Amino acid sequence: MIQTRKIENIILSVITLCAAAIWVFPLYWAMVTSLRRESRVVSDSAGLIPDEFNLTSYIDAILNTRLLTWYWNSIGTSLIITVVTVVTSMMCAYAISQMRFPGRRLLYLVVLASFMIPAQALVVSQFILMNDMGLINTWGAIILPQLIVPVVIIVYKQFFDAVPKELREAVLLDGGGEYTLLFKVYLPLNWGITAALSIITFIGAWNAFFWPFLVATSESTMTIPVGITQVQDTFGVQYARVMSVALLGAMPVAVAYLLFQRRVTEAVMISSGVKG
Amino acid sequence: MTGVILRNVEKSFGAAKVIHDVSLDIPKGAFSVFVGPSGCGKSTLLRMIAGLEETTGGKIEIEGQDVTDQEPARRGVAMVFQNYALYPHLSVFENMAFSLRLARAKQSVIKQKVHAAAEILKMVDQLDKKPSQLSGGQRQRVAIGRAIVREPKVFLFDEPLSNLDAELRVQMRLELARLHREIGATMIYVTHDQVEAMTLADKIFVLKDGFVQQAGAPLHLYDDPDNQFVAGFIGSPAMNFIPARVTGRSDGLIMAQPDGAGAITLEAKSTGEGLSDGTIVTLGIRPECLRPAETGLSAKIEMSEELGGVSYLHARLAGDRPLVVERRGIREMLEGRTIHLTADPADILVFDPDGRRLR
Ligand SMILES: Nc1ncnc2c1ncn2[C@@H]1O[C@H](COP(=O)(O)OP(=O)(O)OP(=O)(O)O)[C@@H](O)[C@H]1O
Ligand SMILES: [Mg+2]
Repeated sequence: MIQTRKIENIILSVITLCAAAIWVFPLYWAMVTSLRRESRVVSDSAGLIPDEFNLTSYIDAILNTRLLTWYWNSIGTSLIITVVTVVTSMMCAYAISQMRFPGRRLLYLVVLASFMIPAQALVVSQFILMNDMGLINTWGAIILPQLIVPVVIIVYKQFFDAVPKELREAVLLDGGGEYTLLFKVYLPLNWGITAALSIITFIGAWNAFFWPFLVATSESTMTIPVGITQVQDTFGVQYARVMSVALLGAMPVAVAYLLFQRRVTEAVMISSGVKG
Repeated sequence: MTGVILRNVEKSFGAAKVIHDVSLDIPKGAFSVFVGPSGCGKSTLLRMIAGLEETTGGKIEIEGQDVTDQEPARRGVAMVFQNYALYPHLSVFENMAFSLRLARAKQSVIKQKVHAAAEILKMVDQLDKKPSQLSGGQRQRVAIGRAIVREPKVFLFDEPLSNLDAELRVQMRLELARLHREIGATMIYVTHDQVEAMTLADKIFVLKDGFVQQAGAPLHLYDDPDNQFVAGFIGSPAMNFIPARVTGRSDGLIMAQPDGAGAITLEAKSTGEGLSDGTIVTLGIRPECLRPAETGLSAKIEMSEELGGVSYLHARLAGDRPLVVERRGIREMLEGRTIHLTADPADILVFDPDGRRLR
């Protein structure tokens, strides 16, 4: 009995390790590539083992591309998207969950419905809208359409629904209103989920490619994922440089992930409906 | 002076009417208890006084002020909930200080009031803890402290002890009584436990199906119930009810033959107004009022509960009707025996077929 358990465990571990290796290999390869001289990247002598520690392509990326601008754009837009999305979604969810007003159910249905519409279906009309508003090639165009994240509202609503109604009544008796309720009770009770939702919203915004790619056509408004497409010159793709930009671009998210690992897992589980 | 007055108060949830035309006067400074079976509308009535439920009709006054349409916080009431409803993210101190902070009280005032409340509740050394670090009894004390700090005109309690274990419940009951003595505020307390009601109350309101059945001092309700429901609800073990046929009347007494008891006749003190011979009534006799006699109701004892000083005999009358008899100082084995019982006319209450008391 115990024997079979052990064997099962070993087999499982091996499978997980293989999966992890498959997943990690591109990352590893990017790292190895980015540390080679451009001339060696595609030559026969470039093997699987790292054999060079050459920072040229990193220096190159920083000096000869607009990486720092893209960083700034990515950080700026992602932060604004995160803060605005989380705050407005929280308030919307609070209203739907706790306040009684005509049209409440309808509002929630609209939120649920918009959850089911794929973003791609809206691209054309949103692009035209942004164009009409004169926002193409500004942060505005990158940010505005990304502010609508129905799943954040839905998750918040579920958590607010679960707060016992006596707490609400205790606050009303203590002389508090809706603002006290939301900011002094409902929000503090849900810091965990707030942190989790903020992180996934941030990661989503940071990694967004398709939409920023459409509306940021000048290098000065590009975010990092879009900017990576620009790292080539007239002689074609420069692999080492592209890889170094990609790694530099992914770093903040990786760091954020490592710092808040537990919260992120939690958030992904909640928002995909495994829990809550 | 009256603390809280309800006049013709009604409440419907959609089509369902749960409070029917309730009018009652709750004395200022007294400990009043709403008691009744589950679902009778006790909580709803309390929440209407608190302002947490809107009134569908009627008027509510607190210390002379019409509060029917007033916000909960403006009514001068504080409520203690069954599940405590403490703010889980705040310390005990901050829980108690919450309302004061909202009212922008000075830090020194907050400190002084919270400490005074903690003193009364013997919670001074727990002020830094979070609610999750407290026991059930301590949590309920914090909830009470949160109410005390607000110095309300009326304290409202909705079954505050029902989440506690039996021993703690008795202890907290005593503490509530002490608290009431110490601060002397108007308190309204909801429970479905009639023992709690009897021990705590200055005045009890018995509710059923959204109607007030009777109001009065605990012993008054016990001795002189207005109807069969109150008679059966107040008192433990409950009053025995025996259907009987009226066979005659004579100055202040009526004669009645219990169902299936043959020729046995019981006399009950009642003018018997409006009763004609042959009418079926219900006789109510408390377990402690039944005593053995040469002739009387014959009851077969099925089981006896010996509690030491007192025993309860669970018996069956003819027609399989259950009967409980209280005996003191007797320890002989009675199970399986048949005994004869009677009671003084003054101890037998008469109820008409609708359950109304015939005095
Ligand atoms: N929000 C509501 N919507 C609809 N019906 C309700 C609502 N609240 C209470 N009721 C109904 O009103 C009636 C009285 O409820 P209430 O909670 O006042 O009973 P209670 O006497 O406190 O009972 P318990 O001892 O079980 O707490 C019940 O029939 C209940 O179903
Ligand atoms: Mg109740």
